[in-house]
Amino acid sequence: MMQIYRVAMREYLENVKTKGFWIGILLFPGMVWMLIELPQFLEERGIPTRHVVIIDRSEDLGEIARQRITLLNRKKVLTALQTHISKATAELREQMMEDQEIDTGQLLDQLEQGLEQLSRSDVEINPFSPNQLVKLGDLIPEQMLLNDAQWAQFKKLALSQLPADAPPFTEPDLRFREVPLIDDISLQNSNEEIEKQLKPYLRGDKLYKNGDEEIELFAMVIIPANALDPDQDLRFWSSNLADTDLLDTILAALSEEAREREYSRRGIASDVVAEVASLRVRSVNFDPNKGAGDEKVGIRDKIRQYAPIGFVYMLWVAIFSIAQMLLNNTIEEKSNRIIEVLLSSLSTNQLLMGKVLGVAAVGVTMQLAWIGSLIGILNLKAGPSATWVADLIAAVITPELLLGFVFYFLAGYFFYAFLFAGIGSICNTIKEAQNYMAPLMLLMMVPLATMTFIPSEPNGTIATTLSWIPFWTPFVMMNRMAASPPEFEIYGTALVLLVSVGLVFLVSARIFRIGVLRTGQPPKLLELLGWLKSRTP
Amino acid sequence: MSDPIELRNVTKNFGDFRAVDDVSFTVPVGTVCGFLGPNGAGKTTCIRMMLDILRPTSGSISILGTPRALDVRERIGYLPEEKGLYKKMTATAVIAYFAMLKGIAPAVAKKTARELLERYGLGDFQNHKCEALSKGMGQKVQVLASIAHDPDLVILDEPFSGLDPVNQGVMEEVIRDIRARGKTVLFSTHVMSHAERICERIIVIAAGRIVFDGSVERAKALLPTIVRVRGTGAEAALAGLTAVTEALPSSDGREGVLELRLREGADPQELLKIAFEQGVALEVFEVVDPNLHEVFVHLVGEKAREAAFR
Ligand SMILES: Nc1ncnc2c1ncn2[C@@H]1O[C@H](COP(=O)(O)OP(=O)(O)OP(=O)(O)O)[C@@H](O)[C@H]1O
Ligand SMILES: [Mg+2]
Repeated sequence: MMQIYRVAMREYLENVKTKGFWIGILLFPGMVWMLIELPQFLEERGIPTRHVVIIDRSEDLGEIARQRITLLNRKKVLTALQTHISKATAELREQMMEDQEIDTGQLLDQLEQGLEQLSRSDVEINPFSPNQLVKLGDLIPEQMLLNDAQWAQFKKLALSQLPADAPPFTEPDLRFREVPLIDDISLQNSNEEIEKQLKPYLRGDKLYKNGDEEIELFAMVIIPANALDPDQDLRFWSSNLADTDLLDTILAALSEEAREREYSRRGIASDVVAEVASLRVRSVNFDPNKGAGDEKVGIRDKIRQYAPIGFVYMLWVAIFSIAQMLLNNTIEEKSNRIIEVLLSSLSTNQLLMGKVLGVAAVGVTMQLAWIGSLIGILNLKAGPSATWVADLIAAVITPELLLGFVFYFLAGYFFYAFLFAGIGSICNTIKEAQNYMAPLMLLMMVPLATMTFIPSEPNGTIATTLSWIPFWTPFVMMNRMAASPPEFEIYGTALVLLVSVGLVFLVSARIFRIGVLRTGQPPKLLELLGWLKSRTP
Repeated sequence: MSDPIELRNVTKNFGDFRAVDDVSFTVPVGTVCGFLGPNGAGKTTCIRMMLDILRPTSGSISILGTPRALDVRERIGYLPEEKGLYKKMTATAVIAYFAMLKGIAPAVAKKTARELLERYGLGDFQNHKCEALSKGMGQKVQVLASIAHDPDLVILDEPFSGLDPVNQGVMEEVIRDIRARGKTVLFSTHVMSHAERICERIIVIAAGRIVFDGSVERAKALLPTIVRVRGTGAEAALAGLTAVTEALPSSDGREGVLELRLREGADPQELLKIAFEQGVALEVFEVVDPNLHEVFVHLVGEKAREAAFR
């Protein structure tokens, strides 16, 4: 026992001293920090205003396109406004939630019900964005946004909600802005000529001139004369293939216009059509696994379904990063020929156990550091969003989930640790180890690949089948945890996993015993099987 | 009390190959025993079996009275043939760690490590990482690591290889110090002069079999005594005697010197007497004692070559 402890202790201390360990420790909170900061950073810096040339060959359709630009611009202002107000009133809101004794989850439920009553099931709730659970832009009718008077009034009303001591609101840059053709290109030119002349600007080779200012040209749209005819296409030129908002919204508006005209040509009143089109059949979802009277599936349940993904990912990273550590250490001890002295002081089993436990302690330290730094970041950021997210996570993470995480971490770690230590013992260099690692890597990729779609069918055939294979049991079962898989499967797969851990230990210990003293080429698979049969090293 | 090392009819096969063949010997308490043999003779294999790192195919081994060396690991010190240390640990930390694995308390282990490094000339390297040590220094550190827990039985596999003459001397000193405390030492080597200087007992193994086991003196007695003579009429008077098996020109190249190989048990004094009686005017009369090196070549020469070409 003492031996195992001392080996584990050394393994732990030496690993904790390595650069890799500290990089691992710092990388994770660094990434979380980025994830928190980046959207805010982008939002604040904002995307610069994009400039567009519109060549309108039709009579009135250009106006529709221009309206759309206005709409996008106002939605952007709306988003900024909403965030601004939300932040400024965060304390008030929290106070209110406290007074009414509701938590984040209940608030979400209320919001969902509210939307249902409004028959706005098309509006999405983003629970991870407390400053913008639903986008105001999605809720407010477009006609209202497009009406200048109403828009001005709305803005005034919204800003009046701000507490007196709130910082002033500054409008963000426009999302899109139309610029006229430059002087040396005539609108009289043919489309082809204009396209040819504008290409260098669109490519970014030349800066475009708008009056006195020099700007980058984002896009050009050519609306043909009979744009609404089925055989006529809009011509949209842009180097940026990612930002499709403008084109999407213009196309949607023109399609709408085309339908309107067709209705009136056929003598159908378009408001009747709209009314009919707004008919929706709704559903209430129930989950038989939930307690009686509480079976209704709400947004929280949906989040809960997906919450394990985070855990699975953490499980995967933790298990493989520390099992890799073990592999490296074993190879180091072997190639440095230290093993033999060790074996005169302890048995191979003790050595194997000591190493595996020591490295496990490294892994646990790393995870604790991660969790600690997460809490640290949330506290540091102590903004309303931080407590909100923490609240939400707390609401979603059940004791069963945590228990599952600990169990699957330990079982999964030991399974892979013994496997890796066995491999380490038969290789003299990392390079040799890679030959064995390649197929293992493939196996290891499976849970990552299935991670995101298992929650959508947590008790389906694929998920069930994968659960029974010990290589994947920890990840897949963790993945399924929130969907209450059948008890038989929980205990059955756990049993199979534990038995496999025992088997891997026995096999590894044997291979380790023979492998560590061996020099030269790593053995072939057949030879390995021979080792398993032989009784003495 | 039983002897610290006892091997009885030990055989070890690797697949079809027999590396150790029916080896038996015992080493009594307080002995320094040299374990000699050509490359591939089976020394390392025997040593590993003594330490229970390998298991014999047949036969039995008893170390400090038990068949399992691990049970008495804290009383054994072991320096393996292939030497290595943790690169990132300091000399002191490595010695202390190995001592701790043998059951020494951490604080004591650290103190002992410092003392040992100081005593054997590595005091300045206490806090150097092992990767910063030269090969020889590293090897010294490892030897110290193997004896830091003051074991009753020390087994060293080629402790002298890779050391310069001065440090070979230090190594001999280490072994003598261990013996001075009444402990038992077994070490393997290819350098006969060390064995000759510090062993009271040698075991020679070749191709897996023991070819000699006894004191250094007895080993030397295996080779015929050689007498070198020069003087008018010396050859006529002495070469034909029954005590002389062979008479050749001296191998040391001196002009006119004759080398006489004596029959086993023959006394060089007899020769001197006869030469005197016959009135030979002797200019040179030297009795050459065989050294262990020659004994070794005599004992295993053929087998060593065979092994080399196997
Ligand atoms: N693990 C092993 N598998 C197969 N053969 C082995 C193994 N270990 C040793 N041998 C063989 O056993 C024989 C004895 O090897 P051993 O290492 O004991 O020799 P040695 O006397 O220590 O030689 P050296 O002086 O070169 O160190 C050699 O022929 C060697 O090839
Ligand atoms: Mg050897």
